[in-house]
Amino acid sequence: MDERFDCIIVGGGIAGLSAAITLARANVRFLLVERGEWSGAKNVSGGVLWGRDLATLVPNYWEDEDAAFERYVAHRRLTFMDDGAAFSLDFKSNHFDEAPYSGVTVLRSRFDAWLAGKAQEAIDASSVADESLIATDVLVRELIVEDGKVCGIRAGEDAFYADSVILAEGVNNLLTRQVGLQTEYVPATGLAVGVKEVIRFDAKVLEDRFQLSGRRGMSNEFVGYATDGVEGGGFLYTNRDSVSVGLVLGMEDLRRSRKKPYDLLNGFKQHPVVADALRGGEVLEYSAKVVSTGDLRAMPEEVYGEGVLVAGEAANLVLNAGRAIQGMDFAMRSGMLAAETVIEAVRAKDFSTAIFKHYRTALDASYVMQDLRGFQDAVKVLHSPEMFTAVPRLVCDFGREFFTVDNRPTKKAWQILRDVRKEHLSYWDLVKLGAKASRAL
Amino acid sequence: MSNADASVRPLTIAERLGKVAYRNQGRSAATPHIVVDTAICNSTCPHQCTTYMCPANCYTLDDVGKVHFQFEDCIECGTCMYACDQGAVAWSYPDPETGRGVNWNAG
Repeated sequence: MDERFDCIIVGGGIAGLSAAITLARANVRFLLVERGEWSGAKNVSGGVLWGRDLATLVPNYWEDEDAAFERYVAHRRLTFMDDGAAFSLDFKSNHFDEAPYSGVTVLRSRFDAWLAGKAQEAIDASSVADESLIATDVLVRELIVEDGKVCGIRAGEDAFYADSVILAEGVNNLLTRQVGLQTEYVPATGLAVGVKEVIRFDAKVLEDRFQLSGRRGMSNEFVGYATDGVEGGGFLYTNRDSVSVGLVLGMEDLRRSRKKPYDLLNGFKQHPVVADALRGGEVLEYSAKVVSTGDLRAMPEEVYGEGVLVAGEAANLVLNAGRAIQGMDFAMRSGMLAAETVIEAVRAKDFSTAIFKHYRTALDASYVMQDLRGFQDAVKVLHSPEMFTAVPRLVCDFGREFFTVDNRPTKKAWQILRDVRKEHLSYWDLVKLGAKASRAL
Repeated sequence: MSNADASVRPLTIAERLGKVAYRNQGRSAATPHIVVDTAICNSTCPHQCTTYMCPANCYTLDDVGKVHFQFEDCIECGTCMYACDQGAVAWSYPDPETGRGVNWNAG
């Protein structure tokens, strides 16, 4: 079977579906192929889609009763932990309650399926409804390249042709590698392993325990004991009737440590503070995923080539600069921008790299690349060993002294800080780290 | 810790994988989507790191320290493809019809 489309999108995750919705609204004829049985069947994330782009893609989504986000983030917490204590920065504000929300928790198997429904609605409403298609259960074996230009895909016995291909295949970007935009062997540098459990609670228990009401939710990130000295951090996000709890572990450091990711997850769950939060829950699912960390060295050489554009985590567009782990919002924006370049090409009837380069320009001008470039130092600081060893211990020691009243003469806060600092870091290390962090963040 | 609660009690990897929905479980033989040249693991590899880094414990060590691989429990995360810097892992996605792989319920 030979078919020709304006565009083929490989991957029905957030990047691919965001591209699809954008193309459908511009009446561009496309084929989206997804290897899972449904969109979301193969997708895992930590759990928060940050930012407000979802409202651009699906206006007033929060009014849709079937909208498959779990909760909006109304309460944020960053926790430093050692083996026995946890010291949190905790922020709650009623501005978080205003739609469009600035973050929603998601479970991808459900969220992506819902977003695929929105993409289908957009196709149905377009003037080319009979000529665009979302196909699931289709694995792309390879890209068809003719005269150096990507012009289609091969899936099983079938070949499909298009003037442009958007690769939204996720972090394990085999097709991006096939066309030489990414090296064939990608080393572990700049990559992490995420492991997660989804733990079910009665909604009432969940709401009481985390002080939630309505669709309000909480996001909690953890540094320190969470990863038992391995580079990385932990997270706990509330869904509608479950929590997502997991770890992101730097791959090179994990290799050095000789520790197992699922053992570390057990350790994290047993920390008194985390155990208190999880008591009484039922583990529904265990999952894992490779995660980009925001290190630009892990990115493909270029996000476009002849006939092809790369979006989402296929281009390693993820950033953890200490404020939030952003990946799904980058996927959404890059998918939209890639589609806009395709729309421009369709209108100009020009699918040359001169036009495709506009995607690169648009991505560079967007917050995605601005932040990825601007926060490279933060990525480095966060990955320095002190950040997940000495610093959280220091913070917890300070907390133990500061919050303990024991009927002895009390030290001033600066004295406590001075004394606990000596135990964990040299003064010089602290100054260096503080200076680096204040510049980087 | 004396808490016997399932959410707090450490889960074994077998218990965890028992909660994963795999595709084509009825098939007697699925097509492997990852091929590992364990001869490399068992001769020149200095770390055999997949045996502890794989989140699904697909790579195991036997009594005499030899690496064995099975793809049936694979949850398609991709870790081994990056972790192995010895060229022993040929990684691809499972075929929807004949392969194994996951169907996430939550994801």
